[in-house]
Amino acid sequence: MSKNIISMRHIIKRYFIGKPNELQILNGIDLDVQENEFLAIVGQSGSGKSTLMNMIGALDRPTEGTYFLNGRDISRMNDVQLSTIRNREIGFVFQNFHLIPRMSALKNVEMPLLYAGMPRRERLRRANELLEIVDMADRGSHQPNELSGGQKQRVAIARAMANHPSLLLADEPTGALDTKTGRMIMDLFHQLHQQEGTTIILITHSPELAQECDRIVTISDGSIISDTGVTADAVH
Amino acid sequence: MQFTENLRLAFASLAANKMRSLLTMLGIIIGISSVILITTIGTSIQKTLSNTFNQIGASNFFDVYLYQDYDYEDMMSDDFSDEMPEEDMFTREMLDRLTETYGDHFTPMLQQDFGNATLRSVTNEEFSVMVTGELSPVQDTLHLRGRTITQRDNQEKIHAIYVSDLFVRQYFQDETVDPIGQTVDMTLSNGSTIDFIIVGVCETPELMDKLYAPGTSDMEKTSNVTVPLDTMLDILHQTQEPMMYLTIRWNTEYDPDMLQDELQEFFEAEYAEKPGYQVIVQNEQIYLGMINSVINVITIAISIIAAISLIVGGVGVMNIMLVSITERTKEIGIRKALGAQNSAIRMQFVVEAILICLIGGIIGIILGIAGGMILGFTAKSLVTTIYPDYAQMIAITVQPSVPAILVAVGFSILTGVFFGYYPANKAAKMDPIDALRYD
Repeated sequence: MSKNIISMRHIIKRYFIGKPNELQILNGIDLDVQENEFLAIVGQSGSGKSTLMNMIGALDRPTEGTYFLNGRDISRMNDVQLSTIRNREIGFVFQNFHLIPRMSALKNVEMPLLYAGMPRRERLRRANELLEIVDMADRGSHQPNELSGGQKQRVAIARAMANHPSLLLADEPTGALDTKTGRMIMDLFHQLHQQEGTTIILITHSPELAQECDRIVTISDGSIISDTGVTADAVH
Repeated sequence: MQFTENLRLAFASLAANKMRSLLTMLGIIIGISSVILITTIGTSIQKTLSNTFNQIGASNFFDVYLYQDYDYEDMMSDDFSDEMPEEDMFTREMLDRLTETYGDHFTPMLQQDFGNATLRSVTNEEFSVMVTGELSPVQDTLHLRGRTITQRDNQEKIHAIYVSDLFVRQYFQDETVDPIGQTVDMTLSNGSTIDFIIVGVCETPELMDKLYAPGTSDMEKTSNVTVPLDTMLDILHQTQEPMMYLTIRWNTEYDPDMLQDELQEFFEAEYAEKPGYQVIVQNEQIYLGMINSVINVITIAISIIAAISLIVGGVGVMNIMLVSITERTKEIGIRKALGAQNSAIRMQFVVEAILICLIGGIIGIILGIAGGMILGFTAKSLVTTIYPDYAQMIAITVQPSVPAILVAVGFSILTGVFFGYYPANKAAKMDPIDALRYD
């Protein structure tokens, strides 16, 4: 039996607490994700899926409920602990790539390693190795504005993988790309999932993309309304 | 996160906005360069004054003044006169007693002009000299050969004469002649012709040349000769005139404060029997010290005013850091998502602010020193053109103040930390979700 990477119990998120416009975005989410799953979280805009993603990515803390990531309760962690979790346990891939401008692809990939305190020489070796994995080894010295959308996203994925995270969190990773490039990025995710054994959570509003995943969790109005569950073939 | 990485990041960020970085630095550059310029001017003036004082040999002399105290009744009386009776003034006997009491502590610097005298050279050409009588040499920096006039020459009324190399050329018409021990006949202002033995030669002061039009022949010039004062007085059947003012050289091997006390006590004892007189002993170096402290106060005061412009520069740095942080909100969000701790973000922007201030400070220091040097050279050439005669006496020295430079570097860093901390802290405290969403 695979171990749980994510274990969320009754996660509630409220904004403007105590004010007349108090808003509850998540209404008690329960979610378990196991190692090496390729999971899609689907929902319309305003469904609360972005809030859930921020929660999973340790960018935000729940108002109520508990969230165990790799056996650690991170729902009550302080800012320093959360940044360490983001650095070591989570790899973010964003819709708009979010590479830092005026920094080479290599430097962008190096950044999580830098914040992890890795020495310069080792950092350089690891960053080159990562670019190799996403087939961008020859573009290391390029600035983000010299790269195409698909190339940018590959660099971003390499950066997300830097510190061997437990979890790759991809927020509409193909949203800003044309169909063909989007296909290539999706293929890369499949490759990482199968070859590197990475656990991937894909947040998307596209049912077609979700169909490619092993498991689909659908969110509406801050609650999970359907979950296809862990598919047998997802667990190797 | 390593400091060198922060430094590299900060350099990259400054390089990305060169014009903006430069304009931001301008405030710091102006502030630091004015402080450095002012302190350079201050220390240069002090250095120039002390060098000039040393050069004209004014550093180990006491001035002794005699003052007469008048009370109100005296001044109101009909036969009041402010002329000091000659019998109350300083006399040679007093100076002899001083030398007897304190030996080599003091050398009185008596000098008296005896006007022009004429000589005939070996080729029978007439030329004139200016005769000065002295007790012992006032200045011996230009001494070439032989010896100078001594107190023994005075005591034994020796017909010694101390001449310049110009005199040697005039008299012997030949520079290679050894003049020491040669006897010359000199016709004094009273018409009598007296024989003197040359005891020593000094270099002709450069100042001499400047008194004459270029091309003036040696024979047309008047050179200076020195003879023992007492010998001259004896020859002319004169006695030393009483004096109200004395210059006394002190032996630098002794403590000047102790010597000043000795001198003061000596003259107070001399005038103990004559109430109504006051003797004041002053050291020229005291003037130098007073001038220096006045210059110090002025320098510090103006520097503080100039430092106010540093605050303006610092506010400029703060402003541009706030703009920069707003522009880079998204970058800050990304960094946080990738695991940057608040302290790492804060450090990144503080280092950037420090770097702006430090580069600005260094440019300011260089400009300040350069400005000081330009001013120094301008002053030098002005002095040389306006007062050519004194040009060599005034030793203009440009000296940047080292403590001021160190303080300026420290102050630049401090400005960076002080005005960079608030924006950097603002960046560090940004919510990563809001920062990521920022457009």
